[in-house]
Amino acid sequence: MEALGELARGFAVALDPFVMAMLTVGVLAGLIIGILPGLGGTSGVAILLPLSVFVAVTSKTAAIAMLAGIYWGAVFGGVVTSILFNIPGEPWSVALLFDGFPMAKRLGKPGLALTLAFTSSLFGAIVSSILFTFFALPLAELALRFGPAELFAVFMMAFATLVGLESGSPLKSIAMIGFGLLLAAVGFDSLTGEPRLTFGQIGLLSGIGFIPVTIGLFGLGEILASAEEAGVKYEQVAAKLGLQDLFDSIGELRRKAWMLVANTLIGFWIGVLPGTGATPASFLSYGIARQYAPDKEKANFGKGEPAGIFAPQASANAASVGSLLPMITLGVPGSPTAAVIMAGLFVWGLTPGPLLFTEQRDFVWGLIASIYIGNFMAFAICLLATPLLASIMRAPYSIITPFIILASIIGAYSVNNAMKDVFIVLIFGVIGYWLRKMKYPLAPFVVAIVLGDSTERELRKALIGSGGDPRVLIGINEFGFSPFAAILSAVAIALFLLPLVQYLLRRRSRGSAAATAGEPAG
Amino acid sequence: MRKYQVATAAVLIVIAAVAMFDTRSGAMPDTSGGAPGGLKGGWYPFWSSALAAVALAIIAYRATVTPQTGDVFSGREGVMSLLALLVPMIALVILMDRFLGFYIAGALYLAWFARVIGRYAWVWVAVSAIVIPVILYFSFESFFHVSLPKSIWFTQGLPF
Repeated sequence: MEALGELARGFAVALDPFVMAMLTVGVLAGLIIGILPGLGGTSGVAILLPLSVFVAVTSKTAAIAMLAGIYWGAVFGGVVTSILFNIPGEPWSVALLFDGFPMAKRLGKPGLALTLAFTSSLFGAIVSSILFTFFALPLAELALRFGPAELFAVFMMAFATLVGLESGSPLKSIAMIGFGLLLAAVGFDSLTGEPRLTFGQIGLLSGIGFIPVTIGLFGLGEILASAEEAGVKYEQVAAKLGLQDLFDSIGELRRKAWMLVANTLIGFWIGVLPGTGATPASFLSYGIARQYAPDKEKANFGKGEPAGIFAPQASANAASVGSLLPMITLGVPGSPTAAVIMAGLFVWGLTPGPLLFTEQRDFVWGLIASIYIGNFMAFAICLLATPLLASIMRAPYSIITPFIILASIIGAYSVNNAMKDVFIVLIFGVIGYWLRKMKYPLAPFVVAIVLGDSTERELRKALIGSGGDPRVLIGINEFGFSPFAAILSAVAIALFLLPLVQYLLRRRSRGSAAATAGEPAG
Repeated sequence: MRKYQVATAAVLIVIAAVAMFDTRSGAMPDTSGGAPGGLKGGWYPFWSSALAAVALAIIAYRATVTPQTGDVFSGREGVMSLLALLVPMIALVILMDRFLGFYIAGALYLAWFARVIGRYAWVWVAVSAIVIPVILYFSFESFFHVSLPKSIWFTQGLPF
């Protein structure tokens, strides 16, 4: 029960007025970002990353509470746009379109649809936070026993998850990981001090900053990508929600409690897996809710079925909370948004990982307490002010967009007072736009940029320890055998090979099908 | 779609190849015992880019042999609205860096957006282009003590 004592201490830290003020700023910013289509939570965190640098000077706990607050706000905010406007405010709210908007419009129950989503979101977040609280210490203690070889295997597993579980093209994930690692390697080699990939440019010696790259790839890239769809007309359902809706929602959730709990646990697990966050969790849970629905309710899906709203939303929020667990305990981000938050930790001078639990206890437990507070805050604001929040959609594109772009430029410039960083934003904005167009996944890219240095450091430390013998990486060292390194690298290799195996199986079954049809197999 | 996919992969392969060329001296493990752990600084970036290059070569090959669906751009209008966003942004950054500083360039940028894309009346254009930069000026220069780039007239006494 050590965790409860630490959590109480965390609440004492998080209830500090400055931390609470910054958490509120984060949650409100997240809600607005969540509601605005064409600007996702990851982008929002990236754009506000520079502001967090200034906040961190006063209090690092306030800085992370703010960044994480944007995440919670955006998960809640995306609900409003999906249900009332039938366009996703966030990628993780796409699954809410299937049943959320139909319930609001066809069944005329926008209030019920909204409160169902908000209540299940809060449930997912709180259950996930409780799991977070109790898993954090054991995981950190386990991680403290890890040496370089084990840590390297953990990082490999993170990359392997991004490749093996990528639904689009695993090859594109691999290419993006390669480029992310390459980008992280620019500048001085931290071990030998030799300059790498600087091509004689002094400006590149210190490397390419996380902040301008993430603002460019996510902030600007997303704005450019959505420019082509701007001006699309959308329908709107007026938001009205009362206390009765809340009671009806709770009744509905209690009737299908097992579905809610199961999807929350699934969401938490998907969130903890490196690199996969709220978006895949919500799609997976929507599918599960439909598949395991009683037969007579199956036909309701797509027409306003409550389970089609609460299952994906509970899962999405559980995943967003869960994705911070590996970030804080192992130094491996659980989702793209967590990767950007983790970049913030590096910039403030912290090293994410198990040592935080001994060296920065106030910071870690303050963060965990702020997860509870932030989600309650987002829930309360949504219940009380949804009509007001929905009016953000009326803000004109031609005022909001240039303002966000100016804010991104200020953010990138202000961290080092360098125009170089503004140009990096611009260049990576265009790159991010084009990679989106060409369907290259950006999550592996940003995770690799953030993990690049640590991965290289642990690899080389492991090899230095073994005198250059690569067998240390699969667990064979001079002291005998490390089961953790062996198991983790075996899992990583299996995940890396998963897409190849699937591809070969598909080819074989297609080949045999073609052969039986009397056509040449090819 | 196909030619764009192949061209994108080709450009990325060229970038990876340049990186591999630059770090080629560290490509092989150092058995002389001179490098810590047997790896020189170039090993890691060399093989990262090699990994990317191999994956991209397969992507390019597969793009030529598998059917490609979907258009890259959503018609002429889509491209125009993209350019309407991108070109002024590049102009903004260059003007801000060289001549006008952040506040004047930012005001022009806001005005352009409000007038050309939003088609607002001139009075609203003026409000947006003056009010937002003024708020930004006081919050950053006075409150946050962040000095943003200034115009060429700054040395002659203009405060921004």
